[in-house]
Amino acid sequence: MKTIHKLLPAATAAALLATAVAQAHHSFAMFDREQEIVKTGTVVRWAFNNPHSWLYLNVKNDDGTETLWSFEGSAPPSLLARGITGATFEPGDKVTFMYCPLRDGRPGGAIGWAQLEDGQYVNPADGGCAGNEQSINRWKEWLAKGYTSKAEAEKAR
Amino acid sequence: MTIATSLLRWASIGACALGFSPAALAQAGAFGGGFGPPLEVVKPPREFANSEEHYRYLLEQAKGGTKHTLATVPRWDGLWQPAGNTHLEIFIDGQGFSGKVREGVLTPAYEEAYRERWREQTELGQVNYDRLGHCEPPGYPRILLEPYTHEFINLPEISYQINDFGPSIRRTYIGKEHSNVYGTHSWYGDTIGFWDGNKLVSNTKYVFPADFTRWSPMTSNAFEGVEIWELKTYPGGVERLEVQATFYDKNLLLKPVSAVYAYRRATEMVANGHRVQHWECDQTNNAFLDDKGVTNFHLPGEEGFNDGRGTTLFPHLPGQTRDPIYNTTLGH
Repeated sequence: MKTIHKLLPAATAAALLATAVAQAHHSFAMFDREQEIVKTGTVVRWAFNNPHSWLYLNVKNDDGTETLWSFEGSAPPSLLARGITGATFEPGDKVTFMYCPLRDGRPGGAIGWAQLEDGQYVNPADGGCAGNEQSINRWKEWLAKGYTSKAEAEKAR
Repeated sequence: MTIATSLLRWASIGACALGFSPAALAQAGAFGGGFGPPLEVVKPPREFANSEEHYRYLLEQAKGGTKHTLATVPRWDGLWQPAGNTHLEIFIDGQGFSGKVREGVLTPAYEEAYRERWREQTELGQVNYDRLGHCEPPGYPRILLEPYTHEFINLPEISYQINDFGPSIRRTYIGKEHSNVYGTHSWYGDTIGFWDGNKLVSNTKYVFPADFTRWSPMTSNAFEGVEIWELKTYPGGVERLEVQATFYDKNLLLKPVSAVYAYRRATEMVANGHRVQHWECDQTNNAFLDDKGVTNFHLPGEEGFNDGRGTTLFPHLPGQTRDPIYNTTLGH
């Protein structure tokens, strides 16, 4: 059983209040934090490791093939304070997530928020992308209008 | 889950939320700020030529110090997390990352280097590279503000300061003189100390050049420090371990500077199951300095990728995966 379900009320409160204080051991200069993109994928691995967690997912391309994408999240101690554990994402889970891409265009980035299969939002972000309450609420509105990128949403304004 | 357990969990999460409140951002880059009353720096009673003179003065004032036994030595057991610091106020005029580099603090060479670092932080939003990106230890003085958890174990003849992030152990030898038989410096140098009642006073020398953080100045191999550690309590049950530190560095500083660092008990992390593990940076870190001088990552399938949940050097043997519960592979 995923610990997230036991901790969910508390985790949500903590996650939504958490700020994106950059507690990383490295710079976030490789991420384009101005871009925010939403995708859906299937979890291959949730590496709940120090110094950073990484979420690896297969994402379907338009031609039906799949690409393995890699997303960096915060360090486990920080995520535990938000109720996220090593069992929050399990292999095979379908996850919708927002990320800030790597500037060089490779399939990866900094994770913002993630929406689990049961609809709950969690915030595994570190300083590379915003996954906090403000970001989640903004994106709920944008998703309802069918947008999947910040650029799309801002262009429509 | 019992009602009591549930209440405890909610109370701890509430405290957690407070720990991440906007007040925490009052001092940019000061992890955990906003817990308890504002931190106040206590400067030395007079200027000293170097850290050792400062330390000897304090030792004399304490009449040689308090000789604690195992029964009387102050106990700071348990897990602690940063509760803010004032170090950036030494170097920056103005609020947090919108401030400007303060003049008259750093030597010209270090001020020029710091201006570039601060420009990256303020104009680009990030310093391009952090030396911890290739797994260097935080070192001294950076260990004082490292995030996540710390442990402080006091014994009559030694105090251990253990850091979870980029795991490190710093030792303070009580009642001893400095020793450097290796004839070199090191990440945490050599720290001696004495007890003045419930205060731990220490002097650190022989540290490698490092930095305060990536958005703060670098330090040189002449960096030294005098610290006074004290566990304080404030109204409302606030318990804070505070470190009044004065730093000396003839290559970096025009004159000594002082800052205060603080820790609070990591109650929320403990309630959520956190236990300190060894950080396996060598196996799990994929950050590197690219040819543009910017941090980047090795991704799965690329040369240089470290698969922290892959197998050991002996994949042909059973049970050699580091992902024993899910046993996943990244398809390369």
